[in-house]
Amino acid sequence: MSVEAIDLTLDLPQADAPKAQNGGPLAANLLRAGSLLVFALVFLFFSATAPFFLTVGNIGNVIGQSAVLGVLSIGLTLVLVSGGPNVVTGGIDLSLAANAGLSAVVYALIIQAGYSDAVAILGALATGTAIGAVNAIAVVVIGIVPLLSTIAVMNVVAGVDLVLTQNTVIPASSDVLTLLSSGSLFTIPALGIVFILFAIAAALVLQFTPLGLRLYATGEFPEAAKAAGLPVRRLTAFSYVAAGFCGGLAGILSVAYLSGTSTGSGEMLLPVVVTALLGTIFSRRLVPTIPGTVLSTLFVGFLVNGFQLLNLSSTLVSGVQGLLILLVVSATTLLRKEEI
Amino acid sequence: MSEFATVSPAGSPPRIRNFPSLAPRLALPLATIAVFAAFSVVSPAFLVPTNVLSILTNNFALQAIIALAMTLAVTSGGIDLSVGTAVDFASFAFVTLVLAGQPVPVAAVAGLGAGLVVGLFNGFLIAVIGISPFLATLGTLFIGRSIQQQLTNGGNPVYLPQTGIPDAFRFLGHGSLFGVPVTLAVAVLLLALFGLYLGRSSFGRTIIAIGTQPVVSRFSGLRVARTVTIAYGLAALVAAIAGILLTATVSVYIPNSGNAFLLNAIGATFIGTTLSPLRRPNIPGTALGVLLLAIVANGLLLSGLNFYWQQVGTGLLIFAVLAFSFLRGR
Repeated sequence: MSVEAIDLTLDLPQADAPKAQNGGPLAANLLRAGSLLVFALVFLFFSATAPFFLTVGNIGNVIGQSAVLGVLSIGLTLVLVSGGPNVVTGGIDLSLAANAGLSAVVYALIIQAGYSDAVAILGALATGTAIGAVNAIAVVVIGIVPLLSTIAVMNVVAGVDLVLTQNTVIPASSDVLTLLSSGSLFTIPALGIVFILFAIAAALVLQFTPLGLRLYATGEFPEAAKAAGLPVRRLTAFSYVAAGFCGGLAGILSVAYLSGTSTGSGEMLLPVVVTALLGTIFSRRLVPTIPGTVLSTLFVGFLVNGFQLLNLSSTLVSGVQGLLILLVVSATTLLRKEEI
Repeated sequence: MSEFATVSPAGSPPRIRNFPSLAPRLALPLATIAVFAAFSVVSPAFLVPTNVLSILTNNFALQAIIALAMTLAVTSGGIDLSVGTAVDFASFAFVTLVLAGQPVPVAAVAGLGAGLVVGLFNGFLIAVIGISPFLATLGTLFIGRSIQQQLTNGGNPVYLPQTGIPDAFRFLGHGSLFGVPVTLAVAVLLLALFGLYLGRSSFGRTIIAIGTQPVVSRFSGLRVARTVTIAYGLAALVAAIAGILLTATVSVYIPNSGNAFLLNAIGATFIGTTLSPLRRPNIPGTALGVLLLAIVANGLLLSGLNFYWQQVGTGLLIFAVLAFSFLRGR
């Protein structure tokens, strides 16, 4: 049992309910205000210093470029919500980036084989959802710790990707891909529109429906949720399948964005994890939420874009992300300690 | 979930296990033997001394050292996602100083120091500030990535010229001690050393106690913060040794290449936990986990299967071992 006993609780106040009641709200509000302020300051700074930053076209571009990362992070958010605050024994899906890569390959191969976009879209979404279903079975039915089972699934998925592509880029073009990559509405690229619509739909489900509330209940106190009669196992399974679907969708978006598949889809993994975890600081109770994840995705997008416009090396971005996550979590932890 | 073990859901009595069954513990050794036997039959080139040595030297040694580092962190109750960062930092410092004409021992010590910095930074974040290990080391990984790209002009490899490589450097990478390649000898030595150290020394037992029962350890007066910091420092130091050996073997430093070892290190460590009756991380288990992965990687290659099938095979095998162990272990 002691793999489960390893305590890797995310150090966010909701991790232990009694403490959160004493000192949580003030600390959380300070931090949330602080992180929104940082977002606003960064935005203002780039607006003032970087040419063309604050133009409708540029902001639309950033939203479009963030689509793949954003959709994947939304998928991971669902898993984090139903898995609770403990990263190791709780929910995590490390197969998401590889999932998007393989779904993209399936899409491109179906198009190359001469089938229509509808078939390709179905194929990609089915691939993603199937991978999610495998994760769900591994976690819920077999009972393997998610961190491990999704690593194993990631290996298999990335391997199948390599076998299918021989590690080359498969180009793809079709009507839908052209529409996604070059179409736009109100100067927001079509990719960005898909991202926004999907984020709104996911947010409505997760934050405003009984299903969403049940997912939170499952993650935060599984025993209580079980006692209250919730189908905890089915809800957990649902989150992995839904995340898999997000992987499929992200795959389609990435084919459109790159006009083909990518050999480096696995590199997306850690950015997705950081984006979803960083998103918690934009929520009132410091839990994963869809709006928080979207803000965190856009924040990273604006950072990359601003750095590029200022001719700063974009290699600094991952450092800034790392520093941010450490600063934010340190601040949460230290604030909480002081108030207890 | 164990904190809720006493709260039994309505209707079902709490499950009591007197004897952990042996079957789940056998999954890993049996899988290793089975895979070894299968490849010996399938591929004539597999079971020959040179190939077995090659498995141990090329597939096993470095990954085992890095998995050992991971096991140290997991034993202390955490996880270290930045083992690859320590590998890279050590590699960079080592190559840079050798290029600058410093003697190899000096460069090696500097490499170890550079790796140690990563570990102490992690230890500070986890033990002093109290950030969860997953997030702290993820942050370190991202910062480390940026630093390396800054240092190398966006990620350009640093090559050592083929001529004028110091003998000591060549010895680390390609030499042998009493007929055993240096990398393998170092790996086995480190595994044995830490295997004894964790199980037998009072400090090792303190790390295990903190990993198993952090709260009880604190109330028992163990110096938790200091021990955890040292554990992450040791993990990074061990990873740094792998970084130096890696560089000496390939004569080049490639920025952020250490992360390639990360997922296998996590996989091997946690597959290794199936060897212990209490599912604790343990060094023999980790070593066996790495050995299994090494055999599969080498065997699949020799069986004439496409290179890319390796990853599928490895993934399926990890999955099978985990599934068997978790299904039987419930």
